Amino acid sequence: MDRIEKQVPWYFTPTVVIVAGCLVAIVNFGVRSSFGLFTAPISEAHAWPREIFSFGLALQNLLWGIATPVAGALADRYGAARVIMVGAVVYAIGTCLMAIADTPILFHLSAGIMVGVGIAMSSFGIVMAALGRIVPPERRSWAFGIATASGSLGQFIFAPLGAALITAYGWQHALMILGVSSLLIVAFAVPLLVQNTSSTTLTKDEADITMGQAIGGAFGHRSYMMLVAGFFVCGFQLAFITVHLPPYLAEHGISKEFAGLAMGAIGLFNVVGSYTSGMIGGKYHKRVPLSLIYILRSLSIIGFISFPITTTTTMIFTATMGLLWLSTVPLTMGLVIVMFGTRYMATLYGFVFLSHQIGSFFGVWLGGRLYDAYGNYDVVWWLSIGLGLFAALVHLPIKEVRATKFAAA
Amino acid sequence: MGWPGHRLAITLFVTVIVVWIAVMAVLMRRSSLPPEASGPMLAVFEPGTAADDIFARLTFAGARPVRQTAFSFIWVVAGDEPGLAGRLAAQGAIGAYRELPLNPSIAGCFALADAKIAEYAGI
Repeated sequence: MDRIEKQVPWYFTPTVVIVAGCLVAIVNFGVRSSFGLFTAPISEAHAWPREIFSFGLALQNLLWGIATPVAGALADRYGAARVIMVGAVVYAIGTCLMAIADTPILFHLSAGIMVGVGIAMSSFGIVMAALGRIVPPERRSWAFGIATASGSLGQFIFAPLGAALITAYGWQHALMILGVSSLLIVAFAVPLLVQNTSSTTLTKDEADITMGQAIGGAFGHRSYMMLVAGFFVCGFQLAFITVHLPPYLAEHGISKEFAGLAMGAIGLFNVVGSYTSGMIGGKYHKRVPLSLIYILRSLSIIGFISFPITTTTTMIFTATMGLLWLSTVPLTMGLVIVMFGTRYMATLYGFVFLSHQIGSFFGVWLGGRLYDAYGNYDVVWWLSIGLGLFAALVHLPIKEVRATKFAAA
Repeated sequence: MGWPGHRLAITLFVTVIVVWIAVMAVLMRRSSLPPEASGPMLAVFEPGTAADDIFARLTFAGARPVRQTAFSFIWVVAGDEPGLAGRLAAQGAIGAYRELPLNPSIAGCFALADAKIAEYAGI
Protein backbone atom coordinates (compact mmCIF):
# COMPACT_ATOMS: atom_id res chain seq x y z
CA MET A 1 0.00 0.00 0.00
CA ASP A 2 2.85 2.33 0.91
CA ARG A 3 4.49 1.59 -2.41
CA ILE A 4 1.35 2.67 -4.31
CA GLU A 5 1.11 5.89 -2.31
CA LYS A 6 4.65 6.83 -3.26
CA GLN A 7 3.77 6.53 -6.95
CA VAL A 8 1.10 9.22 -6.75
CA PRO A 9 2.54 12.50 -8.12
CA TRP A 10 2.56 15.30 -5.55
CA TYR A 11 0.00 17.30 -7.53
CA PHE A 12 -2.53 14.46 -7.23
CA THR A 13 -2.24 14.12 -3.45
CA PRO A 14 -5.45 14.84 -1.48
CA THR A 15 -4.19 18.07 0.04
CA VAL A 16 -3.11 19.51 -3.31
CA VAL A 17 -6.32 18.42 -5.04
CA ILE A 18 -8.52 20.04 -2.39
CA VAL A 19 -6.45 23.24 -2.30
CA ALA A 20 -6.60 23.37 -6.11
CA GLY A 21 -10.38 23.03 -6.04
CA CYS A 22 -10.60 25.80 -3.47
CA LEU A 23 -8.38 28.12 -5.52
CA VAL A 24 -10.57 27.53 -8.58
CA ALA A 25 -13.63 28.46 -6.50
CA ILE A 26 -11.92 31.60 -5.13
CA VAL A 27 -11.03 32.96 -8.57
CA ASN A 28 -14.28 31.89 -10.23
CA PHE A 29 -16.51 33.52 -7.63
CA GLY A 30 -14.13 36.39 -6.97
CA VAL A 31 -13.71 37.84 -10.45
CA ARG A 32 -17.46 38.03 -11.10
CA SER A 33 -18.10 39.66 -7.72
CA SER A 34 -16.10 42.70 -8.82
CA PHE A 35 -18.15 43.35 -11.98
CA GLY A 36 -20.59 45.66 -10.18
CA LEU A 37 -17.73 48.14 -9.71
CA PHE A 38 -17.57 48.62 -13.47
CA THR A 39 -21.18 49.80 -13.81
CA ALA A 40 -20.36 53.51 -13.65
CA PRO A 41 -17.05 53.59 -15.57
CA ILE A 42 -18.31 51.46 -18.48
CA SER A 43 -21.65 53.26 -18.72
CA GLU A 44 -19.96 56.66 -18.58
CA ALA A 45 -17.20 55.77 -21.04
CA HIS A 46 -19.70 54.72 -23.71
CA ALA A 47 -22.45 57.16 -22.70
CA TRP A 48 -24.77 54.19 -22.23
CA PRO A 49 -27.79 54.21 -19.95
CA ARG A 50 -27.29 51.93 -16.92
CA GLU A 51 -29.79 49.51 -18.43
CA ILE A 52 -27.24 48.21 -20.94
CA PHE A 53 -24.78 47.20 -18.25
CA SER A 54 -27.56 45.84 -16.04
CA PHE A 55 -28.99 43.76 -18.85
CA GLY A 56 -25.54 42.34 -19.56
CA LEU A 57 -25.15 41.18 -15.95
CA ALA A 58 -28.76 39.92 -15.80
CA LEU A 59 -28.05 37.88 -18.92
CA GLN A 60 -24.87 36.60 -17.28
CA ASN A 61 -26.80 35.32 -14.25
CA LEU A 62 -29.42 33.71 -16.45
CA LEU A 63 -26.79 32.01 -18.63
CA TRP A 64 -24.94 30.88 -15.51
CA GLY A 65 -28.08 29.08 -14.39
CA ILE A 66 -29.02 27.63 -17.77
CA ALA A 67 -25.48 26.52 -18.63
CA THR A 68 -24.81 24.84 -15.28
CA PRO A 69 -26.69 21.56 -16.01
CA VAL A 70 -25.06 21.43 -19.46
CA ALA A 71 -21.62 22.09 -17.96
CA GLY A 72 -22.42 19.45 -15.35
CA ALA A 73 -23.32 16.92 -18.05
CA LEU A 74 -20.05 17.66 -19.85
CA ALA A 75 -18.14 17.33 -16.58
CA ASP A 76 -19.82 14.01 -15.84
CA ARG A 77 -18.92 12.75 -19.30
CA TYR A 78 -15.48 14.24 -19.96
CA GLY A 79 -14.20 15.04 -16.50
CA ALA A 80 -14.58 18.15 -14.37
CA ALA A 81 -11.03 19.43 -14.86
CA ARG A 82 -11.34 19.67 -18.63
CA VAL A 83 -14.66 21.49 -18.41
CA ILE A 84 -13.27 23.88 -15.80
CA MET A 85 -10.24 24.64 -18.00
CA VAL A 86 -12.34 25.35 -21.08
CA GLY A 87 -14.73 27.40 -18.94
CA ALA A 88 -11.85 29.46 -17.57
CA VAL A 89 -10.68 30.31 -21.07
CA VAL A 90 -14.21 31.37 -22.10
CA TYR A 91 -14.50 33.36 -18.84
CA ALA A 92 -11.16 35.11 -19.50
CA ILE A 93 -11.96 35.97 -23.11
CA GLY A 94 -15.41 37.23 -22.14
CA THR A 95 -13.99 39.42 -19.36
CA CYS A 96 -11.26 40.87 -21.59
CA LEU A 97 -13.82 41.52 -24.34
CA MET A 98 -15.91 43.47 -21.82
CA ALA A 99 -13.04 45.95 -21.68
CA ILE A 100 -13.09 46.64 -25.40
CA ALA A 101 -16.77 46.12 -26.18
CA ASP A 102 -17.99 49.43 -27.58
CA THR A 103 -21.46 48.40 -28.71
CA PRO A 104 -24.29 47.05 -26.55
CA ILE A 105 -24.45 43.85 -28.61
CA LEU A 106 -20.77 43.08 -28.14
CA PHE A 107 -21.07 43.91 -24.44
CA HIS A 108 -24.03 41.56 -24.00
CA LEU A 109 -22.20 38.86 -25.93
CA SER A 110 -19.08 39.18 -23.78
CA ALA A 111 -20.33 40.16 -20.30
CA GLY A 112 -23.60 38.32 -20.64
CA ILE A 113 -23.21 35.17 -22.69
CA MET A 114 -19.48 34.38 -22.66
CA VAL A 115 -18.86 35.25 -19.02
CA GLY A 116 -22.11 33.54 -17.94
CA VAL A 117 -21.17 30.32 -19.72
CA GLY A 118 -17.56 30.60 -18.51
CA ILE A 119 -18.67 31.01 -14.88
CA ALA A 120 -20.99 28.02 -15.17
CA MET A 121 -18.27 25.79 -16.60
CA SER A 122 -15.69 26.73 -13.97
CA SER A 123 -17.98 27.25 -10.98
CA PHE A 124 -17.75 25.56 -7.61
CA GLY A 125 -20.61 23.24 -8.60
CA ILE A 126 -18.25 21.57 -11.05
CA VAL A 127 -15.39 21.74 -8.55
CA MET A 128 -17.54 20.01 -5.94
CA ALA A 129 -18.46 17.31 -8.45
CA ALA A 130 -14.74 16.62 -8.92
CA LEU A 131 -14.10 16.63 -5.17
CA GLY A 132 -17.13 14.41 -4.63
CA ARG A 133 -15.54 11.70 -6.74
CA ILE A 134 -12.06 12.08 -5.30
CA VAL A 135 -12.80 12.44 -1.60
CA PRO A 136 -14.04 9.42 0.40
CA PRO A 137 -17.71 9.60 1.51
CA GLU A 138 -16.89 10.41 5.12
CA ARG A 139 -14.91 13.52 4.09
CA ARG A 140 -17.18 14.70 1.25
CA SER A 141 -19.34 17.11 3.18
CA TRP A 142 -16.27 18.73 4.69
CA ALA A 143 -14.75 19.07 1.19
CA PHE A 144 -17.97 20.68 -0.09
CA GLY A 145 -17.88 23.02 2.90
CA ILE A 146 -14.31 24.18 2.29
CA ALA A 147 -14.97 24.60 -1.47
CA THR A 148 -18.08 26.70 -0.82
CA ALA A 149 -16.29 28.71 1.86
CA SER A 150 -13.50 29.37 -0.65
CA GLY A 151 -16.00 30.72 -3.15
CA SER A 152 -17.34 33.00 -0.42
CA LEU A 153 -13.83 34.13 0.45
CA GLY A 154 -13.25 34.90 -3.24
CA GLN A 155 -16.28 37.17 -3.24
CA PHE A 156 -15.04 38.90 -0.12
CA ILE A 157 -11.50 39.59 -1.31
CA PHE A 158 -12.01 40.36 -4.99
CA ALA A 159 -14.34 43.34 -4.58
CA PRO A 160 -11.67 45.55 -2.89
CA LEU A 161 -9.09 44.11 -5.27
CA GLY A 162 -11.18 45.11 -8.29
CA ALA A 163 -11.67 48.59 -6.85
CA ALA A 164 -7.95 49.01 -6.23
CA LEU A 165 -7.19 47.78 -9.75
CA ILE A 166 -9.58 50.34 -11.25
CA THR A 167 -7.97 53.13 -9.24
CA ALA A 168 -4.42 52.05 -9.99
CA TYR A 169 -4.72 51.15 -13.68
CA GLY A 170 -8.08 52.44 -14.97
CA TRP A 171 -11.18 50.34 -15.63
CA GLN A 172 -10.12 48.89 -18.98
CA HIS A 173 -6.78 47.58 -17.76
CA ALA A 174 -8.43 46.43 -14.55
CA LEU A 175 -10.88 44.29 -16.53
CA MET A 176 -8.04 42.92 -18.63
CA ILE A 177 -6.08 42.02 -15.48
CA LEU A 178 -9.14 40.34 -13.97
CA GLY A 179 -9.72 38.48 -17.25
CA VAL A 180 -6.15 37.25 -17.38
CA SER A 181 -6.24 36.32 -13.69
CA SER A 182 -9.22 34.06 -14.36
CA LEU A 183 -6.81 32.02 -16.51
CA LEU A 184 -5.18 31.01 -13.22
CA ILE A 185 -8.12 28.62 -12.99
CA VAL A 186 -6.57 26.58 -15.83
CA ALA A 187 -3.44 25.97 -13.76
CA PHE A 188 -5.38 25.43 -10.54
CA ALA A 189 -7.56 22.79 -12.25
CA VAL A 190 -4.62 20.58 -13.23
CA PRO A 191 -4.67 18.51 -10.02
CA LEU A 192 -8.39 17.89 -10.59
CA LEU A 193 -7.42 15.83 -13.66
CA VAL A 194 -7.01 12.98 -11.19
CA GLN A 195 -10.81 12.80 -11.14
CA ASN A 196 -12.33 10.13 -13.35
CA THR A 197 -15.24 10.59 -15.71
CA SER A 198 -18.63 8.91 -15.56
CA SER A 199 -17.54 6.02 -17.77
CA THR A 200 -15.00 4.87 -15.22
CA THR A 201 -16.45 5.76 -11.85
CA LEU A 202 -19.31 3.34 -11.42
CA THR A 203 -19.12 2.32 -7.82
CA LYS A 204 -20.48 -0.91 -6.37
CA ASP A 205 -23.64 0.67 -5.00
CA GLU A 206 -24.60 2.55 -8.19
CA ALA A 207 -26.80 1.23 -10.99
CA ASP A 208 -25.43 1.29 -14.53
CA ILE A 209 -27.81 3.78 -16.18
CA THR A 210 -27.46 6.38 -18.93
CA MET A 211 -27.46 10.12 -18.34
CA GLY A 212 -30.91 10.42 -19.89
CA GLN A 213 -32.23 7.74 -17.54
CA ALA A 214 -30.54 9.51 -14.63
CA ILE A 215 -32.15 12.88 -15.43
CA GLY A 216 -35.55 11.25 -15.99
CA GLY A 217 -35.20 9.22 -12.82
CA ALA A 218 -34.21 12.25 -10.75
CA PHE A 219 -37.13 14.34 -11.96
CA GLY A 220 -39.46 11.45 -11.12
CA HIS A 221 -38.03 11.25 -7.60
CA ARG A 222 -40.07 13.12 -5.01
CA SER A 223 -37.17 13.98 -2.72
CA TYR A 224 -35.21 15.51 -5.61
CA MET A 225 -38.14 17.70 -6.58
CA MET A 226 -38.37 18.88 -2.97
CA LEU A 227 -34.69 19.77 -3.07
CA VAL A 228 -35.20 21.68 -6.33
CA ALA A 229 -38.13 23.57 -4.80
CA GLY A 230 -36.14 24.38 -1.66
CA PHE A 231 -33.17 25.74 -3.57
CA PHE A 232 -35.49 28.09 -5.46
CA VAL A 233 -36.19 29.74 -2.13
CA CYS A 234 -32.49 30.04 -1.37
CA GLY A 235 -31.96 31.92 -4.63
CA PHE A 236 -35.00 34.12 -4.01
CA GLN A 237 -33.91 35.18 -0.53
CA LEU A 238 -30.24 35.81 -1.35
CA ALA A 239 -30.91 37.80 -4.52
CA PHE A 240 -33.64 39.86 -2.85
CA ILE A 241 -31.39 40.75 0.07
CA THR A 242 -28.34 41.44 -2.12
CA VAL A 243 -30.18 43.83 -4.41
CA HIS A 244 -32.87 45.34 -2.21
CA LEU A 245 -31.36 45.48 1.29
CA PRO A 246 -29.18 48.57 0.57
CA PRO A 247 -32.14 50.71 -0.59
CA TYR A 248 -34.25 49.34 2.30
CA LEU A 249 -31.55 50.43 4.75
CA ALA A 250 -31.32 53.84 3.08
CA GLU A 251 -35.06 54.29 3.57
CA HIS A 252 -34.53 53.67 7.28
CA GLY A 253 -31.78 56.22 7.60
CA ILE A 254 -28.79 53.91 7.49
CA SER A 255 -25.90 55.55 5.65
CA LYS A 256 -24.62 54.18 2.35
CA GLU A 257 -21.20 53.70 3.96
CA PHE A 258 -22.58 51.60 6.79
CA ALA A 259 -24.78 49.64 4.40
CA GLY A 260 -21.62 48.77 2.44
CA LEU A 261 -19.92 47.54 5.60
CA ALA A 262 -22.99 45.54 6.57
CA MET A 263 -23.08 43.86 3.14
CA GLY A 264 -19.38 43.10 3.56
CA ALA A 265 -20.20 41.35 6.84
CA ILE A 266 -22.42 38.96 4.88
CA GLY A 267 -19.39 37.92 2.81
CA LEU A 268 -17.16 37.43 5.81
CA PHE A 269 -19.63 35.43 7.89
CA ASN A 270 -20.56 33.45 4.80
CA VAL A 271 -17.08 31.87 4.84
CA VAL A 272 -17.62 30.66 8.41
CA GLY A 273 -21.19 29.50 7.75
CA SER A 274 -20.35 27.54 4.59
CA TYR A 275 -17.45 25.74 6.21
CA THR A 276 -19.40 24.93 9.37
CA SER A 277 -22.34 23.65 7.33
CA GLY A 278 -20.02 21.27 5.50
CA MET A 279 -18.78 19.92 8.82
CA ILE A 280 -22.31 19.51 10.18
CA GLY A 281 -23.45 17.78 6.99
CA GLY A 282 -20.79 15.15 7.47
CA LYS A 283 -22.01 14.25 10.95
CA TYR A 284 -25.80 14.48 10.84
CA HIS A 285 -28.70 13.95 8.44
CA LYS A 286 -28.38 16.74 5.90
CA ARG A 287 -32.06 17.55 5.59
CA VAL A 288 -32.36 18.59 9.25
CA PRO A 289 -29.68 21.32 9.27
CA LEU A 290 -30.88 22.39 5.82
CA SER A 291 -34.39 22.80 7.16
CA LEU A 292 -33.03 24.61 10.20
CA ILE A 293 -31.14 27.08 7.99
CA TYR A 294 -34.37 28.13 6.29
CA ILE A 295 -36.19 28.42 9.63
CA LEU A 296 -33.38 30.56 11.03
CA ARG A 297 -33.42 32.76 7.92
CA SER A 298 -37.14 33.35 8.39
CA LEU A 299 -36.71 34.08 12.10
CA SER A 300 -33.84 36.46 11.35
CA ILE A 301 -35.96 38.38 8.88
CA ILE A 302 -38.90 38.51 11.31
CA GLY A 303 -36.59 39.86 14.01
CA PHE A 304 -34.99 42.36 11.66
CA ILE A 305 -38.19 43.92 10.33
CA SER A 306 -40.01 43.80 13.69
CA PHE A 307 -37.57 46.05 15.52
CA PRO A 308 -36.50 49.58 14.65
CA ILE A 309 -33.76 49.48 12.01
CA THR A 310 -30.50 50.67 13.56
CA THR A 311 -26.85 50.10 12.75
CA THR A 312 -26.73 47.44 15.48
CA THR A 313 -29.78 45.49 14.26
CA THR A 314 -28.50 45.81 10.69
CA MET A 315 -25.10 44.37 11.58
CA ILE A 316 -26.68 41.55 13.62
CA PHE A 317 -28.99 40.74 10.70
CA THR A 318 -26.29 40.75 8.02
CA ALA A 319 -23.90 38.70 10.18
CA THR A 320 -26.65 36.15 10.85
CA MET A 321 -27.66 36.01 7.20
CA GLY A 322 -23.99 35.67 6.28
CA LEU A 323 -23.73 32.56 8.45
CA LEU A 324 -26.81 31.15 6.70
CA TRP A 325 -25.95 32.47 3.19
CA LEU A 326 -24.27 29.70 1.14
CA SER A 327 -24.42 27.21 3.97
CA THR A 328 -27.21 25.51 2.04
CA VAL A 329 -24.80 24.54 -0.76
CA PRO A 330 -22.70 21.77 0.86
CA LEU A 331 -25.85 20.18 2.29
CA THR A 332 -27.76 20.38 -1.01
CA MET A 333 -24.87 18.91 -2.99
CA GLY A 334 -24.49 16.24 -0.30
CA LEU A 335 -28.14 15.26 -0.65
CA VAL A 336 -27.80 14.94 -4.44
CA ILE A 337 -24.98 12.45 -3.92
CA VAL A 338 -26.83 10.53 -1.23
CA MET A 339 -29.85 10.10 -3.51
CA PHE A 340 -28.11 9.53 -6.85
CA GLY A 341 -24.45 8.73 -6.27
CA THR A 342 -21.46 10.48 -7.77
CA ARG A 343 -21.76 9.42 -11.40
CA TYR A 344 -24.14 12.15 -12.64
CA MET A 345 -23.93 14.49 -9.68
CA ALA A 346 -22.67 17.51 -11.64
CA THR A 347 -25.63 17.26 -14.03
CA LEU A 348 -28.20 16.68 -11.33
CA TYR A 349 -26.82 19.42 -9.08
CA GLY A 350 -26.86 21.64 -12.17
CA PHE A 351 -30.64 21.37 -12.42
CA VAL A 352 -31.00 22.14 -8.71
CA PHE A 353 -28.80 25.20 -9.23
CA LEU A 354 -30.89 26.28 -12.22
CA SER A 355 -33.84 26.41 -9.83
CA HIS A 356 -31.71 28.60 -7.53
CA GLN A 357 -31.05 31.04 -10.36
CA ILE A 358 -34.72 31.18 -11.32
CA GLY A 359 -35.42 31.98 -7.66
CA SER A 360 -32.79 34.72 -7.86
CA PHE A 361 -34.53 36.23 -10.86
CA PHE A 362 -37.85 36.33 -9.01
CA GLY A 363 -36.21 37.67 -5.84
CA VAL A 364 -34.76 40.64 -7.71
CA TRP A 365 -37.73 41.24 -9.97
CA LEU A 366 -40.54 40.77 -7.45
CA GLY A 367 -38.62 42.88 -4.93
CA GLY A 368 -38.88 45.83 -7.31
CA ARG A 369 -42.33 44.98 -8.64
CA LEU A 370 -43.98 44.66 -5.24
CA TYR A 371 -42.15 47.71 -3.93
CA ASP A 372 -43.63 49.72 -6.79
CA ALA A 373 -47.08 48.27 -6.10
CA TYR A 374 -47.13 48.82 -2.32
CA GLY A 375 -44.59 51.58 -1.82
CA ASN A 376 -42.52 49.53 0.62
CA TYR A 377 -40.73 46.19 0.97
CA ASP A 378 -43.04 44.73 3.64
CA VAL A 379 -44.86 42.34 1.31
CA VAL A 380 -41.60 40.95 -0.11
CA TRP A 381 -40.08 40.51 3.35
CA TRP A 382 -43.13 38.51 4.42
CA LEU A 383 -43.09 36.58 1.16
CA SER A 384 -39.46 35.76 1.88
CA ILE A 385 -40.37 34.61 5.40
CA GLY A 386 -43.20 32.45 4.07
CA LEU A 387 -40.99 30.92 1.40
CA GLY A 388 -38.35 30.20 4.04
CA LEU A 389 -40.88 28.26 6.12
CA PHE A 390 -42.06 26.47 2.97
CA ALA A 391 -38.46 25.46 2.20
CA ALA A 392 -37.97 24.24 5.76
CA LEU A 393 -41.08 22.08 5.44
CA VAL A 394 -40.26 20.60 2.02
CA HIS A 395 -36.78 19.59 3.09
CA LEU A 396 -37.88 17.64 6.15
CA PRO A 397 -39.55 14.70 4.29
CA ILE A 398 -36.55 14.21 1.97
CA LYS A 399 -35.43 10.60 2.14
CA GLU A 400 -31.69 10.41 2.64
CA VAL A 401 -31.29 7.10 0.89
CA ARG A 402 -30.22 6.06 -2.59
CA ALA A 403 -33.11 6.39 -5.05
CA THR A 404 -34.30 2.97 -6.21
CA LYS A 405 -33.41 3.44 -9.89
CA PHE A 406 -29.91 4.55 -8.93
CA ALA A 407 -29.11 1.67 -6.57
CA ALA A 408 -27.26 -1.38 -7.81
CA ALA A 409 -29.49 -4.42 -8.09
CA MET B 1 -3.70 7.99 2.45
CA GLY B 2 -4.27 10.76 5.03
CA TRP B 3 -7.04 13.26 4.39
CA PRO B 4 -6.55 16.85 5.43
CA GLY B 5 -8.85 18.63 7.86
CA HIS B 6 -9.40 21.90 9.67
CA ARG B 7 -5.69 22.71 9.75
CA LEU B 8 -5.67 22.76 5.96
CA ALA B 9 -8.73 25.03 5.87
CA ILE B 10 -7.17 27.51 8.30
CA THR B 11 -3.79 27.44 6.54
CA LEU B 12 -5.41 27.93 3.13
CA PHE B 13 -7.65 30.82 4.20
CA VAL B 14 -4.89 32.57 6.15
CA THR B 15 -2.47 32.20 3.22
CA VAL B 16 -5.02 33.58 0.77
CA ILE B 17 -5.71 36.55 3.03
CA VAL B 18 -1.99 37.27 3.49
CA VAL B 19 -1.44 37.18 -0.29
CA TRP B 20 -4.51 39.38 -0.74
CA ILE B 21 -3.24 41.97 1.74
CA ALA B 22 0.16 41.99 0.01
CA VAL B 23 -1.43 42.54 -3.41
CA MET B 24 -3.71 45.24 -1.96
CA ALA B 25 -0.65 46.95 -0.44
CA VAL B 26 1.04 47.10 -3.84
CA LEU B 27 -2.12 48.46 -5.48
CA MET B 28 -2.67 51.03 -2.71
CA ARG B 29 0.91 52.26 -3.18
CA ARG B 30 0.07 52.87 -6.81
CA SER B 31 -3.03 54.77 -5.72
CA SER B 32 -1.18 57.09 -3.34
CA LEU B 33 -1.07 60.63 -4.65
CA PRO B 34 2.00 62.82 -5.24
CA PRO B 35 2.15 66.20 -3.39
CA GLU B 36 1.04 68.16 -6.46
CA ALA B 37 -2.23 66.20 -6.84
CA SER B 38 -5.67 67.76 -6.49
CA GLY B 39 -9.29 66.65 -7.00
CA PRO B 40 -11.25 64.13 -4.90
CA MET B 41 -9.12 62.04 -2.58
CA LEU B 42 -9.01 60.03 0.63
CA ALA B 43 -7.11 61.86 3.38
CA VAL B 44 -5.78 59.63 6.14
CA PHE B 45 -4.77 61.08 9.50
CA GLU B 46 -3.21 59.50 12.54
CA PRO B 47 -5.82 57.30 14.28
CA GLY B 48 -7.03 58.98 17.45
CA THR B 49 -6.86 62.50 16.03
CA ALA B 50 -9.97 64.41 17.10
CA ALA B 51 -12.56 65.01 14.37
CA ASP B 52 -12.63 68.78 15.11
CA ASP B 53 -8.85 68.92 14.81
CA ILE B 54 -8.96 67.08 11.48
CA PHE B 55 -11.70 69.36 10.20
CA ALA B 56 -9.57 72.40 11.04
CA ARG B 57 -6.53 70.90 9.31
CA LEU B 58 -8.57 70.13 6.20
CA THR B 59 -9.75 73.73 6.12
CA PHE B 60 -6.18 75.05 6.50
CA ALA B 61 -5.09 72.80 3.63
CA GLY B 62 -7.83 74.22 1.42
CA ALA B 63 -9.62 70.87 1.20
CA ARG B 64 -13.38 70.68 0.93
CA PRO B 65 -14.60 67.90 3.26
CA VAL B 66 -16.96 65.69 1.27
CA ARG B 67 -17.70 63.10 3.94
CA GLN B 68 -16.26 61.37 6.95
CA THR B 69 -15.93 57.57 6.77
CA ALA B 70 -16.85 55.12 9.52
CA PHE B 71 -13.37 55.88 10.89
CA SER B 72 -13.14 59.44 12.17
CA PHE B 73 -9.54 59.83 11.00
CA ILE B 74 -10.27 59.04 7.34
CA TRP B 75 -12.05 61.64 5.23
CA VAL B 76 -13.11 61.96 1.63
CA VAL B 77 -12.10 65.45 0.55
CA ALA B 78 -11.86 67.47 -2.65
CA GLY B 79 -10.06 70.53 -3.88
CA ASP B 80 -9.32 72.04 -7.27
CA GLU B 81 -6.08 73.88 -6.51
CA PRO B 82 -2.95 71.89 -7.40
CA GLY B 83 -0.85 70.72 -4.47
CA LEU B 84 -3.74 69.64 -2.25
CA ALA B 85 -2.09 66.31 -1.34
CA GLY B 86 1.08 68.14 -0.32
CA ARG B 87 -0.84 70.69 1.77
CA LEU B 88 -2.69 67.85 3.50
CA ALA B 89 0.63 66.21 4.31
CA ALA B 90 1.88 69.54 5.71
CA GLN B 91 -1.22 69.58 7.93
CA GLY B 92 -0.36 66.17 9.34
CA ALA B 93 -2.12 63.75 6.99
CA ILE B 94 -0.12 60.53 6.80
CA GLY B 95 -1.38 59.74 3.31
CA ALA B 96 -3.56 60.90 0.42
CA TYR B 97 -5.08 58.42 -2.03
CA ARG B 98 -7.15 58.43 -5.15
CA GLU B 99 -10.73 57.61 -4.26
CA LEU B 100 -11.47 53.90 -4.69
CA PRO B 101 -14.82 52.91 -6.23
CA LEU B 102 -15.53 51.11 -2.98
CA ASN B 103 -16.98 51.81 0.41
CA PRO B 104 -14.76 54.66 1.66
CA SER B 105 -14.46 53.06 5.10
CA ILE B 106 -13.08 49.83 3.64
CA ALA B 107 -10.88 51.78 1.23
CA GLY B 108 -9.73 53.84 4.21
CA CYS B 109 -8.62 50.71 6.10
CA PHE B 110 -6.30 49.76 3.24
CA ALA B 111 -5.18 53.36 2.86
CA LEU B 112 -4.30 53.54 6.57
CA ALA B 113 -2.38 50.26 6.39
CA ASP B 114 -0.42 51.50 3.38
CA ALA B 115 0.20 54.94 4.90
CA LYS B 116 1.58 53.39 8.10
CA ILE B 117 3.84 51.01 6.14
CA ALA B 118 5.05 53.89 3.98
CA GLU B 119 5.62 56.01 7.10
CA TYR B 120 7.72 53.31 8.80
CA ALA B 121 9.56 52.42 5.59
CA GLY B 122 10.24 56.07 4.87
CA ILE B 123 8.82 55.82 1.35
